[in-house]
Amino acid sequence: MDTLLTAEIVANSPQFRRKSSIFVDAIHDLPEKADLAPAQLYSTESGRLFHSGRIVIITVGLPARGKTHMSVALARYLRWLGVKTRIFHLGDYRRATIPFGEDMPDDYFYVKATASSVLLRQKIVRKCREDIYHFLNHEKGQIAIYDAVNPLASGRRSLAKEFAKHDIETLFIESWCDDERIIEENVRRVKISSPDYVSWSPEDAVKHYLNRISSRIPQFQTMEEKDLNYIKMINAGERLIVNNRSFGYLSNRIVFYLLNLHIKSRRTYFVRAGVSLEADSYKADASLSEQGEEYAKKMTEQLLAHRESEKQEMIDRGETGYELRPLKVWTSTRRRTVETAKYLYDRGYKVRQRSQMSQLNPGVCEKMSEERIRAEWPDEVLKHELDPYHHRYPRAESYHDLAVRLEPIILELEREQNDLLIIAHESVLRVLYGYLMACNAADIPFLEFPRNEVIEIIPESYQNEASRIHIPDLPEEIIPDSPEDLKIPVPPSGGVSPMQGLGSPLEGTSTPISGVRTPSGVRTPREPERISQQHVEDVV
Amino acid sequence: MSTGSVIRSQQQHKVFVASSDESKICVVMVGLPARGKSLIAGKAMRYLAWVGIPARVFNVGSYRRHATPQPAATFFDPHNEEGERMRRAAAEAAMSDMLNWFRTGKGVVAILDATNSTKERRKWIHESCRDADIETLFVESICDDEDLIMNNILEVKTTSPDYKGQDPELAAVDFRNRIRNYEKAYETIDDNEKKYTYVKLINVGSTVIINQIKDYLSSRLVYYIQNLHIKPRSIWLSRHGESEYNLTGKIGGDSNISERGELYAQALPRLMRESGVPANTKIVIWTSTLRRTIQSARHLKAETGFDKLEWKALDELDSGVCDGLTYEEIAEKYPEDFAARDEDKYNYRYRGGESYRDVVIRLEPIIMELERSENVIIVTHQAVLRCIYSYFMNVPQEKSPWMEVPLHTLIKLTPRAYGTEEQRFKADIPAVSTWRGKGSQAKHQEFPTEGKEAQH
Repeated sequence: MDTLLTAEIVANSPQFRRKSSIFVDAIHDLPEKADLAPAQLYSTESGRLFHSGRIVIITVGLPARGKTHMSVALARYLRWLGVKTRIFHLGDYRRATIPFGEDMPDDYFYVKATASSVLLRQKIVRKCREDIYHFLNHEKGQIAIYDAVNPLASGRRSLAKEFAKHDIETLFIESWCDDERIIEENVRRVKISSPDYVSWSPEDAVKHYLNRISSRIPQFQTMEEKDLNYIKMINAGERLIVNNRSFGYLSNRIVFYLLNLHIKSRRTYFVRAGVSLEADSYKADASLSEQGEEYAKKMTEQLLAHRESEKQEMIDRGETGYELRPLKVWTSTRRRTVETAKYLYDRGYKVRQRSQMSQLNPGVCEKMSEERIRAEWPDEVLKHELDPYHHRYPRAESYHDLAVRLEPIILELEREQNDLLIIAHESVLRVLYGYLMACNAADIPFLEFPRNEVIEIIPESYQNEASRIHIPDLPEEIIPDSPEDLKIPVPPSGGVSPMQGLGSPLEGTSTPISGVRTPSGVRTPREPERISQQHVEDVV
Repeated sequence: MSTGSVIRSQQQHKVFVASSDESKICVVMVGLPARGKSLIAGKAMRYLAWVGIPARVFNVGSYRRHATPQPAATFFDPHNEEGERMRRAAAEAAMSDMLNWFRTGKGVVAILDATNSTKERRKWIHESCRDADIETLFVESICDDEDLIMNNILEVKTTSPDYKGQDPELAAVDFRNRIRNYEKAYETIDDNEKKYTYVKLINVGSTVIINQIKDYLSSRLVYYIQNLHIKPRSIWLSRHGESEYNLTGKIGGDSNISERGELYAQALPRLMRESGVPANTKIVIWTSTLRRTIQSARHLKAETGFDKLEWKALDELDSGVCDGLTYEEIAEKYPEDFAARDEDKYNYRYRGGESYRDVVIRLEPIIMELERSENVIIVTHQAVLRCIYSYFMNVPQEKSPWMEVPLHTLIKLTPRAYGTEEQRFKADIPAVSTWRGKGSQAKHQEFPTEGKEAQH
């Protein structure tokens, strides 16, 4: 990763509001409109969730214990829930304060450091804390994640006291490990990719890195402070110890989330359901048409072939005896999604129906043409155009409603250890993709999932990567996205659009990459998050 | 959680049933007497049954009671060989019944409610379950807060069948001696048992240790247990005031409340006061996003200044193609659907709409939030109210969709240690009936006030 570039950006943006077009994501950049959070339950005057005040989540743990991984995952989840959250990596402040090219003093982490190191430490922490206060007091922030080592009990107590003075609650989350394999794996995955270790063998690099940590941070006290709110995560979630002095809604929610969070290497695939007989009717719940059947067959073949080729690739790379993880299939309870899974079911794959995964309800707009919607609901159309994510047509669901409905699915998605294929309506895929790829809520209604692609989501160290696998030989007319754009709220997930001029796909484009508004008013979102490029790895 | 698909056979469509991949779990309670084990076990069972996961409590004490209905404290002395033998036999009988229950294929979660206070006993349970391919989840409740223990003892001595008809004072002394006998042999779950999946709750969740959670269902159970609190509170439930659609017999829609509905909305603050609200109590008002509930709660909000939340999840059951129709019209247009719904109302999903099962699934976050919250009044719709009510009152799935919940009536539920207390307050403002008996004519009718025969 490019340490030089990111360090400069960090140094030049005092509050880490990176506005550069290269570094836009929903984790490190808050959307301009503060209320745009995917699954916010309800909004309030203060912009904060009703039951909870302001919380600073303070990470505790030596480097390579998965603190940043946990912070980023948690931020993504909380943001998605509608809690205004920002991560403050203390390491970024250290790099911004210590001139580039200079190393930090050797005794920086020592308990008995020299006066100059203590002063430097205080200066860096103060700067970070000021930004946290600013975020919570003046930017309607609700949760600040303070990502640092925080090795000493005394330091943690004084942090809690300091924040309490400002009427801010603290929740400490410690990542603690005594399983050497987990630590080494963490070092291997995220630490030794730095330029410092370019020509090293992985074994030597890991050893060197770990030695540096122990000489740099000789003292680390695990959390035992019964007077503080804390969650201790042992060996990447093998055990959780919760010390609950005054847990509110969000803190309990966080425990639930962490219980299901694991470092995973499993794949998630998204595909659309096939075309149904009554594609323009939401209520009909019709079966697959002949074309839909054909799609189901080809999709199945392509997906399985792709998985086989991935397996072969791993074997070619020398991973002898590599086995694919078992694949599970989730569908909604809508007939065409269930039937799209038929060929997989016939081959013995497990298929589960989830009623939460039904498509967005179009309400009064069902089967209506754009013209008619405009004529009958002119005020609603105006409101919809202003905020297509939150706006709800009469009797319809908004994307936001859908996201709230899908929340239990999100947690189960985190828990699942097997590979997972999700067959659903495009509106559902948008919201799930929005969570996994940390998209801004405003972009979610515009994500596109044409039928001739299988979306594959692969977890990387801090974020997920998405790729698209082409399904060949599908008839043109069934490929297009559901023409759900600004004007047409939720038309059917059909092939041929009943609305003139909107059924055809945008010329040549189908992947959500550009941030450009096309003439038809359909906008493809920016490429979602790139977290690893933003956060500079802490090489102690 | 649905374990299969509900298929409407009268419509031609390719049928196949999705499989269920629920693992079987035995929740094993661990802890001294009077640590709230049975309370947790009972609530967890109610919650699981409500979300559609077949669950059952196996209480070892009730097996032991067959042989020794009212044993003295010395029976529980670990050195009392006869007592030890009989308690072991009770545990074995409970275990054997539990395994048989799982073998029928109907069970998903069994809760083994006993002290299970030794490592040896836990090892035996773990191995017996493992051999039957059942996961174990140990839930240990530890308490050293004397006030909490005393409260529990008071509760037990007045409610436990072991002390039925005995002098409460003597019962309390005996019970404390029994606890002392258990303490002699009690071994908490420690590091030697770290391969087990377990949760340790210390002083009602002030410290929680969660070890080796391996599946989503267990994590959900843990989250549920963590959200339970024992502060006194009440939950008020009300349907919206009579709506314009109610007057014409139409279902669904988003109509305004009628004149009589407005009268109910005005009467609601008074009705709340009459139901008894302790002084200085904060109540939060929850409504759906539909007009009729918001309008019904309007005066209550204005008069009390209580906070109000609108939840999409509280919206009425979506009746899909039948939205805006009367029961007569449905029977005429969709005769087969109409009959199918009577056949299995809980699972029947309106075309393009929802079933009661679907509503329960979407209400689950609401229930979690209710468990966490203190005083709440929920103004919502018939089907949704039936589902929430069923959770608190443990109404089985076959019955809940047929339950009568009249308009213009406030229901107050107050959770007690063993069960929930219910009171109803009628506003005395006339309204149409929106209840329809199973297999009856396609119209709303009066709920039979005498004889419950029509309420299947």
